[in-house]
Amino acid sequence: MIFIYLLSGLFLGWSLGANDTGNIFGAAVETRMLKFKKAALIASIFITLGALLEGSGPSGTLGRLGSVDALGGAFTVALAAAITITVIVRLGIPVSTSQTIVGAIIGWNFFSGRLTDYGSLITIASSWVLAFVLSAAIAALLFYTVKPWVNRSKRHLLEQDLIIRYALIVVGAFGAYSLGANNIANVVGVFVPVSPFKDISVGNLFTITGLQQLYLMGALSIVVGIYTYSHKVMRTVGKDLFHLSPITALVALLAEALVLFLFASRGLYNLLLSLHLPTIPLVPVSSTQVIVGAVVGIGLAKGGKNIRYNILARISLAWVAAPLIAFLISYTALFIIQNVFEQKVQQETNYIFDRMVITKIDREGFSTGALSTVNGRSFKTERAIHQELQAGPPLSRNELMQIISIAEIHEMTVDVKRLLDSGLHKGFSAAEIDVLRSLQDRSYRHKWQLRDALGKYPEFKLFPAPESERQKNHNRILTGKFDILYRTFTKLK
Amino acid sequence: MALLLKTTRFVESQIDTFLDIVSDSATTFQLAQEDYLAGRIPQFEGRLAQIREYEHRADDLRVSIERFLYERTLIPENRGDVLAILENTDEVIDNIKDSLLQFSIELPQIPHELDDLWMQTTRASVAAVEQLVFAVRSFFRDLAAVNNYIHKVYFFEREADHIGERLRRQIFAMDIELSRKSQLRFFAIHIEKISDAAQNVCDRLSIYTIKRQL
Repeated sequence: MIFIYLLSGLFLGWSLGANDTGNIFGAAVETRMLKFKKAALIASIFITLGALLEGSGPSGTLGRLGSVDALGGAFTVALAAAITITVIVRLGIPVSTSQTIVGAIIGWNFFSGRLTDYGSLITIASSWVLAFVLSAAIAALLFYTVKPWVNRSKRHLLEQDLIIRYALIVVGAFGAYSLGANNIANVVGVFVPVSPFKDISVGNLFTITGLQQLYLMGALSIVVGIYTYSHKVMRTVGKDLFHLSPITALVALLAEALVLFLFASRGLYNLLLSLHLPTIPLVPVSSTQVIVGAVVGIGLAKGGKNIRYNILARISLAWVAAPLIAFLISYTALFIIQNVFEQKVQQETNYIFDRMVITKIDREGFSTGALSTVNGRSFKTERAIHQELQAGPPLSRNELMQIISIAEIHEMTVDVKRLLDSGLHKGFSAAEIDVLRSLQDRSYRHKWQLRDALGKYPEFKLFPAPESERQKNHNRILTGKFDILYRTFTKLK
Repeated sequence: MALLLKTTRFVESQIDTFLDIVSDSATTFQLAQEDYLAGRIPQFEGRLAQIREYEHRADDLRVSIERFLYERTLIPENRGDVLAILENTDEVIDNIKDSLLQFSIELPQIPHELDDLWMQTTRASVAAVEQLVFAVRSFFRDLAAVNNYIHKVYFFEREADHIGERLRRQIFAMDIELSRKSQLRFFAIHIEKISDAAQNVCDRLSIYTIKRQL
């Protein structure tokens, strides 16, 4: 069964390869600076390297699909996202893969009676405008900087051409590497805890772990997507939207890299924080929206006459449509998978408002007066709690979500071996692992109980009211680690 | 870097050699005209032989450059333009050769009164070709300078036209047979045509330059 489940992850990988590689190499291929086969080979090598070397590495995330708690659900959500991306890529339109996945996850949230954090919806909508405008502005600025330099350059046309060609390859390779590193978790991350692969020893030379095999499969699915279906998106980005020249293609790619590095790189953000330097605010940007923005920015800088606005309109429409389509497919597919194929698409989660939970809610500073209608009761879905609490004094969405998370029952037993075996321990320091070892075999009923138990150690201490950017970032990193622990230590039923 | 640029440098040197040949052809044409007017026919024939050799080498180089650009997919965006420039510049050499060949075949008798205007027309046409070579070189290395040279080419082409017109008027004002007048006019136009060919290349070059500019 796991192999069937895995198929939808691989399908998602395939659609991701077809869509996202177009963003990176579209301009280079369509300006004929790189042949498609060469671009596909470079993309394949670097995406695989990124996936294997870094995908399971520092971030150690489970990907966005990690929030879906049953394998059947993750299968369906991945399938819905993959179908949506494939349909839109078929029209030759580049689409944001992560936003489509979020759309599909919201479908799961609705289906499983969970409340959706409106923050993620606002994030998607703001990215449509923000990423686009930001990268268009940066690309135009870069264009105006490069223009006098290129026009006055005393370098021979042939040398200039060769340098641009190598620059396109280098920037493209970096793009491919980070694509592999950032997205492999979306493709196979959710299957990490149930990986069916056994370690393979090659002679006595080296061992390929089951986890590496899983990531390799994910990377291969992306590679197949590149070779079989990425040319349509390449054409749209590099030619149809605005006819790019090799130099403007490079400007577009550099603008994309710059925007992603400055405004979306948590690595740079953490580095600036650690050096006590002012940080650049992290903005939710999607590489697709950034590259399209960059191409339009260059088009506008060149007078704006040759931009094909009808294609731009189609692309914009698809950006709004993609998460919505994914949401609808996901919701419908979950219904079919659960009721026709009788697969489990969500873990049964219970919520309880016993004395311990009420005390915790009180200690967190929420008014318990609003909880009189739920006191002492159990619930099966978040929506039921929401409906019950609506009768009382009004609560903000954020307060409601926090109260629900305190009431959620999530049985866990600390098992460091499981964390190590899953390969998700890489983001944890040795001191943190030692703390976890000291809690080995202890069981907790609520997530906050594990968090409180760990919070007694300095390694896992959250700032109660973070003020500085540094403190907020510390809390953000720790919360990410806690999410991995909750998932890894879940009691198997 | 030097290793990466090896092929590129080779093609660059071929283009430079090609342009050197165009420039040499123009100079040789002027020297050949001086020889002819001074009656140094064997020396003139030597110049013609030299220009034939130049023409062969220019053709070979052009084909070799074309093959390199296509086989190695160099400058995909500008490849067509560069080949058009080379082919049109090659036609300038063809014109020069055709003109001298015609002199060698027909051996027209040019009255000495025409010598000065004849050489003035020749020098204007040759200057147009030399400025063309500068323009083409700049197209590859220094885009900002191309228009200056193109402007000069147009100037010398107009100059060749004006002097050529005066030359033809003088031919037809002379007291010689109509058939001879007609023959001399044919040769005068041949010299003017060399600057016209240079101008044709510049017409394209100015568009390609705009295309190349960011």
